[in-house]
Amino acid sequence: MAVDPVSMLSFVRFLFAFTIGSHILLVSTSIALVILISVSEFLSIRKQDPVYEALARRLSKVFVISFGVGTASGIVMAVELVGLFPSFMTLVSSTGAVVLLYAEVSAFFLEVLALVLYVYYWNSFRKRYYHWITSLFVVFGTLASAVLITMLNAWMNTPNGFDVSAFISSGFNTITDVEPFAAFLTVSTVAQVFHVLVTTLFAGTMVIGAYFAYWFVKSGDAGEKAMYSRALKILGAVAIITIILSGISGSEEMGSLLVHQPLKYAALDANTVPGTNLPDHFFGSIVNGSYVGGISVPGMQALLARFETGVTILPGLSQFPANTWPPLLVSTTFNVMTVGGLVLGLFLFIYFASFVMKRRPYESRRLLYLWVPAAVLAMIVYELGWATDEVGRQPWIVYNVMTVAQAANTSDALLIPGIVIVLFYLAVVPFTFYLYSRVFRGSDRGATK
Amino acid sequence: MNGIFTVNYAAFSMFSALLITEIMGAVGLLIAWPSRSKVLDYLVPIWEVTGTFGALWVVTGDFAYPALLVPVAALFTPLLIVFLILFVARNTSISFAEFITKRGWLDEEKLYKSYAVSTVVLGLVVLVLLSALVGGQGVNLTAGSFSIASWATAGSVVFIVGTLLLAVGLAPVLFDLSALRSLVLPLTAFGIILSVLSYWLMSPGLITPWMTAPVLLTLVVASLYTWRRTSRIVTNKAVFLAVLSVIIFSLQPLVYPKAIGQALSIDAVTTTGPMADAFFTITAVGGLLLALMLVLYVRIAIRGPNGPDL
Repeated sequence: MAVDPVSMLSFVRFLFAFTIGSHILLVSTSIALVILISVSEFLSIRKQDPVYEALARRLSKVFVISFGVGTASGIVMAVELVGLFPSFMTLVSSTGAVVLLYAEVSAFFLEVLALVLYVYYWNSFRKRYYHWITSLFVVFGTLASAVLITMLNAWMNTPNGFDVSAFISSGFNTITDVEPFAAFLTVSTVAQVFHVLVTTLFAGTMVIGAYFAYWFVKSGDAGEKAMYSRALKILGAVAIITIILSGISGSEEMGSLLVHQPLKYAALDANTVPGTNLPDHFFGSIVNGSYVGGISVPGMQALLARFETGVTILPGLSQFPANTWPPLLVSTTFNVMTVGGLVLGLFLFIYFASFVMKRRPYESRRLLYLWVPAAVLAMIVYELGWATDEVGRQPWIVYNVMTVAQAANTSDALLIPGIVIVLFYLAVVPFTFYLYSRVFRGSDRGATK
Repeated sequence: MNGIFTVNYAAFSMFSALLITEIMGAVGLLIAWPSRSKVLDYLVPIWEVTGTFGALWVVTGDFAYPALLVPVAALFTPLLIVFLILFVARNTSISFAEFITKRGWLDEEKLYKSYAVSTVVLGLVVLVLLSALVGGQGVNLTAGSFSIASWATAGSVVFIVGTLLLAVGLAPVLFDLSALRSLVLPLTAFGIILSVLSYWLMSPGLITPWMTAPVLLTLVVASLYTWRRTSRIVTNKAVFLAVLSVIIFSLQPLVYPKAIGQALSIDAVTTTGPMADAFFTITAVGGLLLALMLVLYVRIAIRGPNGPDL
């Protein structure tokens, strides 16, 4: 079956986007799980509460599944990058970006060895606190992996550590002036890592929270309810903290885009022309160079930009050649993400207010049922955030250096195995979530009786 | 001496040793399910570590040989995708199997057997890949293509049979299956003969005096198990894994200084300059971290009252 290179390029884009889109579902729940486990065990020791310990034990089994599937999926992506974008990986491997991947493997070792000790040798620790400290290694390893891979993405957005102009002028053949450790801190790294980390934790927390909220309502078992309510206490607190941090870090991220990726910024805010007193645009589209059909809030964008960065002249698409514009759909994905985040903030504000007013939010059926659509919305917002970042960088794979088309392997030999991978993920991801639930609910319930 | 190659090959040796022991266990699960506990005691805490060493091998390979990535993508991507599917299937099955409680059609046995089949087939895919890397079987470097039809030569087939025979021969050592003690030495010796024959069939230049080191070490392991008095030395799983890693490590002349049927000079494609320095720095820091964690692992695992809490 012969497929033309243009179609294969689209397929390769889709395949990697699909893989990473599936992978981050697993990652976000993993990060939330490991934090919930560590906090639960800490509280079990501090409060001498066996229900918290049972919660940590049962969740640790779920985490093993999450780790097993998540790491396999991570390796799929690592190898896919070589197979689908070999020229990109050649650049990565010749510059400091690969140092991040290597450092990530070290974090991965820390995580896996600590996890094996934590789960399989629970009863071998002489003191409970020592066992709990092992969970901190797992948390650290998990978060470090996430941070390092996000640093690589930040490097793709604002590459550094080599002579870009020499690389481009040599036809991608010569890489000079390499600074291997520069990729750890590009101009966009801090803002991006901060935003990705808190939003990932937030999305995972909402999903796990929805699970516990649903079963708190459904379960007739008092012991189980006690466990779910404890989980919800922790998750509610984490969700409230991370939604606030998501807003702050999102604002920082936009400030970073404004300064370092003005084209992406202009596309997200649907600015057709540059200006000083631009409005904020919501849900419109750009037709023949003009913004139509949406809501404009006069002066708001300029006000926010001045507050965040001090920048007064905002960029517009007209400043850049049209063939370097990303698909303008990113403006819509960005708006849905922002408005979705505000809705979630409102939900959690009500949850928090309910807590402050001495009512137990985890015993209000309405609030508990709302967790479920809120979790779905959180995942949509999270996926759209990722899509906005990646699609917003198009047509570049490495911003202003290499396009996706230049990096991609368009061999049609990839088609059949690629389709098999997609089908495989379509089965594995839902099955994994089903198994999380089944393993959690099927675990020993003695401690909650 | 190429230090970067050595580090990458060491990662490969540890990954392969772990994978081979997993295949030994997987075959055990398939053919002797009722006596699975001996196998699971070993497999359950170790399968996560195997994957991590696999990731280490892949990433150090990306780092070490940037110039090879485009040709590797052209040659092996379809094979690598098959590998990936099997890898996800393997991880998914075993992580589910560990904690599943029987309800409906899905149970522990089905999941462990799914893991075992995925692992064995994955091992075969790795062997196909390795035979291509060693002897260049099926590889057309000029055209940038890999063909299974032209891979299937006598050398490749004997390579796979020889390796599997070695795995079958040494499996009773790892799991201390004393009923099979008398088979260990003859099967291992036969596996060695076939493996050496396969190297010669792939390319007579692969046979060098260095080959005596892995041959002798393998025979020592099999012989130590044959005598009851010395068998405890090699049935210690940490010792067995370490020796197996050393055996694989000592096979490095098969791919260094030249790989893919002596057509590719490793030194010519290895990273240099500041990237090489960075490689060693991260290796030193990461290696120290790994060593500390392994010490902690051994202390706790050995001190544990009854082994892992399964």
